[in-house]
Amino acid sequence: MDSAAGNADDPPAAVLAFLQDFGLQEDKGLIDWEWLGDNFTEDVVPALLQHIFLCAIALAIALVIAVPVGILCARYRWLYGPTTAITGFLYTIPSFAMFTFLLALGFSVGVMPAIIALILYSLLILIRNVVTGLDSVPAETIDAARGMGLTDRQILLGVELPLALPVIVAGMRIAVVTVIGVAVIGAYIGGGGLGELVFDGIDRDFPTLYITGAVLATLLAIAADLLFVRTERLLSPWSRRVRRAG
Amino acid sequence: MIEFKNVSKTYAGSNVTVVNDLTFEIPDGDICVLVGPSGCGKTTSMRMVNRLIEPTKGEILIDGQKNTSMSGTQLRRKIGYAIQQTGLFPHRTIADNIGTVPGLLGWDKDRIKSRADELLDLVGLPPNQYRDRYPAELSGGQQQRVGVARALAADPPIMLMDEPFGAVDPITRDRLQNEFLRIQEDIKKTIVFVTHDIDEAIKMGDKIAILKEGGILAQYDTPENILVNPASDFVQSFVGGDRVLKRLSLTRVGDVDLEPANGSGENLPRINEGWTLRDALSEIIGAGADRGVVVTDGESNGGSRGTITLDSIRKISHGAETPRG
Repeated sequence: MDSAAGNADDPPAAVLAFLQDFGLQEDKGLIDWEWLGDNFTEDVVPALLQHIFLCAIALAIALVIAVPVGILCARYRWLYGPTTAITGFLYTIPSFAMFTFLLALGFSVGVMPAIIALILYSLLILIRNVVTGLDSVPAETIDAARGMGLTDRQILLGVELPLALPVIVAGMRIAVVTVIGVAVIGAYIGGGGLGELVFDGIDRDFPTLYITGAVLATLLAIAADLLFVRTERLLSPWSRRVRRAG
Repeated sequence: MIEFKNVSKTYAGSNVTVVNDLTFEIPDGDICVLVGPSGCGKTTSMRMVNRLIEPTKGEILIDGQKNTSMSGTQLRRKIGYAIQQTGLFPHRTIADNIGTVPGLLGWDKDRIKSRADELLDLVGLPPNQYRDRYPAELSGGQQQRVGVARALAADPPIMLMDEPFGAVDPITRDRLQNEFLRIQEDIKKTIVFVTHDIDEAIKMGDKIAILKEGGILAQYDTPENILVNPASDFVQSFVGGDRVLKRLSLTRVGDVDLEPANGSGENLPRINEGWTLRDALSEIIGAGADRGVVVTDGESNGGSRGTITLDSIRKISHGAETPRG
């Protein structure tokens, strides 16, 4: 304890010493910086990229499904109840159970069932935000658009969706954080990504691996969240520049 | 000219008739105000002109042609449309909002831009200051100005206006009304104007259609004739007990034959010739006098044009037609 406290310019050592007190670590240290340095580009970076890829693909496909379904639900209100019930049910399935079900359904271990699970988890959030976003468009704005001779298509693409966009992006923010977290568990059925580091590390009792995976997944979620906050602002300049005149 | 021919609207299922056998004509260049209590079908009637609502029976002719002779969207691009909540697109700049219909009609960008500037000038918003702003950055009155400018953008011969000055304070509304009447003197659009406010109807209308519940036309006439000869008890109660005063508010002092000024008139109230007779009456009574000295617009001292007496105002309030101010 004393020796570690004296070594102020090496914070990981301090942490390590602290954990050693709890008998959590052998002499090697909680994080093997040397190993991390040697294997960073070979093991860690590919896992991170694969994780991003997995989540991006899943989110993109989920969005492609959610936007039309959300538009239909906003137009034909009776669809919304059943849609929410189904996607809500999917959302409540624990992630481990979800992966198991997909395997039971005949999917082979690999990236495919992982992506499908991530899509299913995103649907509830995305569809609900598409519908909420469309609902938030003022009725008089749509009335004025129709009264000026915009076609239904022009109203949807030129007025409703642009105005709903901030709410849709807000949904993507929540979805992306969810998906990044669930994707870690997806590695259990061969989805790859940062979860592989985590499971590998646990199996081999090698903390450097699983801590790296967990920290990177967390940082990735925070980064994605910030990115979408920025996107949200960028896409709605009109709501940002409110300085009322007279 | 817009002609309503036996137009009725009944909503399927409910069997409630909202517009009942409406027949009347709106001459070119007139402002026709549809006015009545809520549930009288005034907005529904207006919305049937550009087919946002289709009538159950009857037809509407525009310049002799059925309004069903072209598609609804094509028709609407030829008819200006302004509503109470303005319905401005919050995500588009003021210039883009005004350019909506010209854009739909395929005008080129430079023409749309110069048209937007021209209209901003017309409604009293300096283009340099306003064209690139978003609607949320404007006050309610400014937004309604933009709403009117947007309706005028493609220079449509016909305009539909549903309480276009409804959502602002009375002072701003009065100013917007005056400005619009001034603009209308130049542009001479054929306008269907919906309001629930009889004072606004009297002020804005060349013709007023008073509707009562169930969408029945109670009276269709000029404001003067409605005030002098209400067709029914309903109309009489709708225009209110002060209809004589309302009638006086239709005439400007400058449009009345004045008596020559005799004497100095130093102690008499000054009446601006731009005021309505109603304002003049109020001023004269308020001053405890029986007459007032009429002065030229903008000069409260001197420039006397004659005097106006309580007697002459009384005669006008009972008498024959007076010119509109």
